[in-house]
This record gives sequence, structure tokens and C-alpha cells, in this order.
Amino acid sequence: MSRPDWIVLLLTLLGMIAYGLYKGRTSRDLDGYFLSNRTVPWYMVLLGIMGTQASAVTFLSAPGQAYTDGMRFVQYYFGLPLAMIVVCISFVPVFRRLKVYTAYEYLEERFDLKTRVLTSFLFLLQRGLSTGISIAAPSIILSSLLGWNILWTNIFMGGLLIIYTVGGGAKAVAYTQQAQMIIIFSGMAVAGFMVVHRLPPGVGLREVLHIGGKAGKLNIITTGFKPGGGFDWGDKYNLLSGIIGGFFLQLSYFGTDQSQVGRYLTARSLSESRLGLLLNGLVKVPMQFLILLLGVLVFAFYQYNREPVFFNQLQLEKLAHSKYKDSLGVLTAQYDALEGERIGQKVAADRLLYLEKEKAGYKATVRRWLNDKDVGGDSNDTNYIFLRFVTDYLPIGLVGLLIAVIVLAAWGSIAATLNSLASCTIVDFHRRMSRRALPAEKEYRLSRWYTLLWGIFCVAMAQLAYNLGNSLIEAVNVLGSMFYGVILGIFLVAFYRKKTGGRAVFISAVIVEAGVITLNVLGKRGIVPLSFLWFNVIGAVGVLLLSEMLQVFMKRAPVKGSVD
Amino acid sequence: MESDQGPEEKVPLFKKWSYWYWLVAGFLLLCIGVFYFLTKHFS
Repeated sequence: MSRPDWIVLLLTLLGMIAYGLYKGRTSRDLDGYFLSNRTVPWYMVLLGIMGTQASAVTFLSAPGQAYTDGMRFVQYYFGLPLAMIVVCISFVPVFRRLKVYTAYEYLEERFDLKTRVLTSFLFLLQRGLSTGISIAAPSIILSSLLGWNILWTNIFMGGLLIIYTVGGGAKAVAYTQQAQMIIIFSGMAVAGFMVVHRLPPGVGLREVLHIGGKAGKLNIITTGFKPGGGFDWGDKYNLLSGIIGGFFLQLSYFGTDQSQVGRYLTARSLSESRLGLLLNGLVKVPMQFLILLLGVLVFAFYQYNREPVFFNQLQLEKLAHSKYKDSLGVLTAQYDALEGERIGQKVAADRLLYLEKEKAGYKATVRRWLNDKDVGGDSNDTNYIFLRFVTDYLPIGLVGLLIAVIVLAAWGSIAATLNSLASCTIVDFHRRMSRRALPAEKEYRLSRWYTLLWGIFCVAMAQLAYNLGNSLIEAVNVLGSMFYGVILGIFLVAFYRKKTGGRAVFISAVIVEAGVITLNVLGKRGIVPLSFLWFNVIGAVGVLLLSEMLQVFMKRAPVKGSVD
Repeated sequence: MESDQGPEEKVPLFKKWSYWYWLVAGFLLLCIGVFYFLTKHFS
């Protein structure tokens, strides 16, 4: 990276830390530290919940996803607007009326202490691990492409934000997320403009859509039904899994995940919480569509420019030092000649078709070599496509800005999570288990310590994830999807089944969780092929139905804390 | 845990929150319709 790029990157990041520290001054108690004294306007709630959901991988991975698999990934978000409606109707009014700090406080009011502690613990476990991955995933990509040391990249990605998150709590998180989202949107818009600008004369957006369409990249809506008939339950992204599975996933995320609940509880009023959430329901799907469209633009760009045989240069270097060294040299020379012919002059349609097939063959060979156990490489380069384009083709200065966009996207998401992990630790465990009431000033100081400790834990997890490789990343992602459905089920019983008591819901949650884990194991062995989105539906509906049945057999205990 | 039983707050732009909900659901349907058209048109 050039010196001007470094200057742009460092100025942006240092500016963000200073801004967070300046804006983060608040009252020295839990209300100020975790809820920003409930003073945040609706537009900051909107940007906050968008910034919390959109991690660095969103901006790195989504364009690459569209490049390789097409735009069907947008269907993953179809359940989100519907989930926003349900959160506004059922979740937000209750949380605001009871003036809770964490969503799980409500569960003790409604059920009992053990249900609250179980749910809060599941959140801490799942979020603590997955935040480590949120730091590791973009760090691995940046360190590979730019040759940075992984430990320093992890500290860069997950450590610097701790300064303003510890100092200013939820208020610093809200203000920095606002600034971050503005920079992120601007950066992505400039990147989109630059791709179109670098296309040959006479090739515009309309032509790009035609190119994308012909190559199968505009598969925005897919039904999930197999050509021979029958629904493909293992298919990750289609209309049905997006609306139903996505609805349960997003409902669980926005209704029961403290990293999101903590954002909309900072709003000035119930109306402003609702407005922020509903506007998120309006803008999220088009926003994801545009990010994916960027991937199609990059795909069209490479139809007129030399496409790397593999986007992750580090993996190619790994091959260059393996037993495939000589073969790689021959393959690269042949590939370069092929690309030269493909983009150099007008080629007849049937010849072009032949060249494309040859090209796909070369790429498949590289992937096969990387999968060789002796090489131990990573054959998936989807996450490297967009950033490789940025570093290879964007002008000096803009590269630094785009790297800053990636880092800021990570910061926004991680800062909100650290704040929520600290709030659950102090409110659901430390304060709840203390025999005496703690002074407000002491609670405030403890909260800052917990934020710092969780920050260090997440960076350490990121380093561990890097050392253990991809298997852990996959395992943690599956872990998250396995817990979300059950947690949502507990909340749905709390809201909609007033006669069901704590014992029934607790036992149901444990049984259904065991069932979901079993399904995952069977899925991995190919016995029950099921996409992870369906775990959310099974978990939530399972807890609802089983607790209902158990309640019939149990002596009905008086239900606590009804919120009718 | 305090309980804040304040009066119903004013709905921005519309008379009722349900109109907002219909807007969000309707916009999703519109997006799906447009995406379906794009998928078919450019395939």
C-alpha cells in the first residue's frame, strides 16, 4: 500500500477514535454507559442497527458472493422487514415499558432466574466466540492481500476500537456508527462509480446487467425447487428459505440479541426505536442488492480485463513453494496467453466459448492443487475478489479509503457487541448475583473493565481462530445458528403464551437445543441434508410447541410478571 | 426494574403504526416483484 493510502487510512481511523472519545461523554452510571441516557434520535438508531449488523465480511464477501454464485444471496434478507414489524409490535414496547438494560432481564420478570441466566449465558458464549471470528475473518483477508502481520492486523481490527468503546460506552458507539456508516456508504458508492468508469467506452450499467444475466449472475430470485420436482431443503438461498428461515433468524437477532436490543433501547422514545427499526426494514434489502450489484459490476469489468487465475495471491505463493511449483509455472503461462487472446481482440463467439471453458479448467486445476493435503491451502477465494480489484485497479488514496471502509465496518459491529457483552455481564450476572446494591459509580467503573476484558478476549479468540484455521470459523457460525432459534422460542413463549411457566419453557429449551444439535450432526453426515437457516425455525417452533405440551402435564405455577 | 407506563406516543407521518407495517411489507413485495422481473428479463 502506498504512503498516501496509509495516510488516508490512519487519519480516518485516528479521527474515528478521537470522535468517539469526544462524543462519548455521558453520565457515570449504567443508564449513561449502556443506554446513552435514552437520548439517541431515530436516524442514529437506524444507522446503529445497520452498522451493528453489517460487519467487515458483509462488504468483503457479498460482492465476491455475487461474482461467483450470483445475486441470489439477497433473498437471505427477505425475512428482515417482516421481522422488524414483529419486533416493533411485540418486543420493543415490552423492553421499553419495563426499562430493562438487557433483553434477558425480562425473562426473569416473566419466568424465573434460571431461564434468564441460561439465555444470557448462551448469548455471551455465542457472541463472544463469533465476535472473535468477526475480527479474524477480515484480518486474514487483509493480512493475505497486503502482507500484514496477522497479530497486528487483529489488534488493528479488534483492538483500537476498544479505546473509544471503553471510554464512551453506548453513546460513543452510536456516534461513531453514524460517522462510520456515512464513510462506508460513500466509499462503496465511489467504488461502484470507479468500476463503471473503468469499463470500456459504450459499456454502461445496462450492458453490465446483460453480461451478468447471460453469465447467470442475475439469479436474484430462485424458488429452491429441483428441476425434477420437490423442494431442495439443503439449498441455502431461495425465496422460501429467505422469507421463512430468514424471518426467524432476523427476529431472533433483532428481538433477542443484546447487541441489537442495546442499540434501539438507547432511543429517545418508543416511537424513535420503532422508526429506526422500520426504516431498517425499508432500506436493508435494497442496500444488500446494491452491494451484490457491485460484485456483478466487478464481474463485468473482468470480462474486459485480465482476471487472475486465483484472487488470493498468498495461496498462489504457497503453491509456488510446493511440489506443484513447475506445473504452476506452465499453467500460469498458458492461462496468461489465453487471457491475452480473450481480451486482446474481437473473438468469434464459438472461440470465446471454448476459451471460457479452458479458463474454467485452469481455475479448477489450481483449486484442486490447493486442496491437496500436502499443500494445505484454501481453495475458496470468494472473499478476496473485491479487495483484489480495489488494490489492483483503484487509484492511490482511494485504496486507503476502501481499506478504512472495511476496518470501520468491523469496528461498528464489534464495538456494539463489546458494549452488549459488558452490559449482560454486569446486569445479568455481577449485579444480579451481588448480595448488596452496588454504588452507581462503581457499576460504571466495573462496566468499563468488563468492556475492556471482553475486547481482549475477542482479540485473543481472533488469534486462536487464525491458528486453528477454517474449521473453527465454520464451527462457530453453525454454533450461532443453532442457538438463535431456541432463544427466540423462549421469548415467543414469554410474549404469546401467557399461561406457560418457567419450568416448562426451560425444559423445552434444553430438549429442543439437544434436538437441533443432533440435526446438525446428522446434517454433517449427510443423513438429514438441511440448510442452517431452517435450524432457526425448528428451534423457535420446537420450544413453542413442546413447552405448550409440557405445561399441560405440569402443575400450573402462577405466571410471573405478565405484561398485558 | 422500573415500569414506565407512559401515554401512547405520536406516530410519525401516519395516523397509526399499522400503516407503517403495511408500508414495510408492501415495499418488500415490490422489491421481490422488481427482482423477479430483473431475473427473468436478463436471464
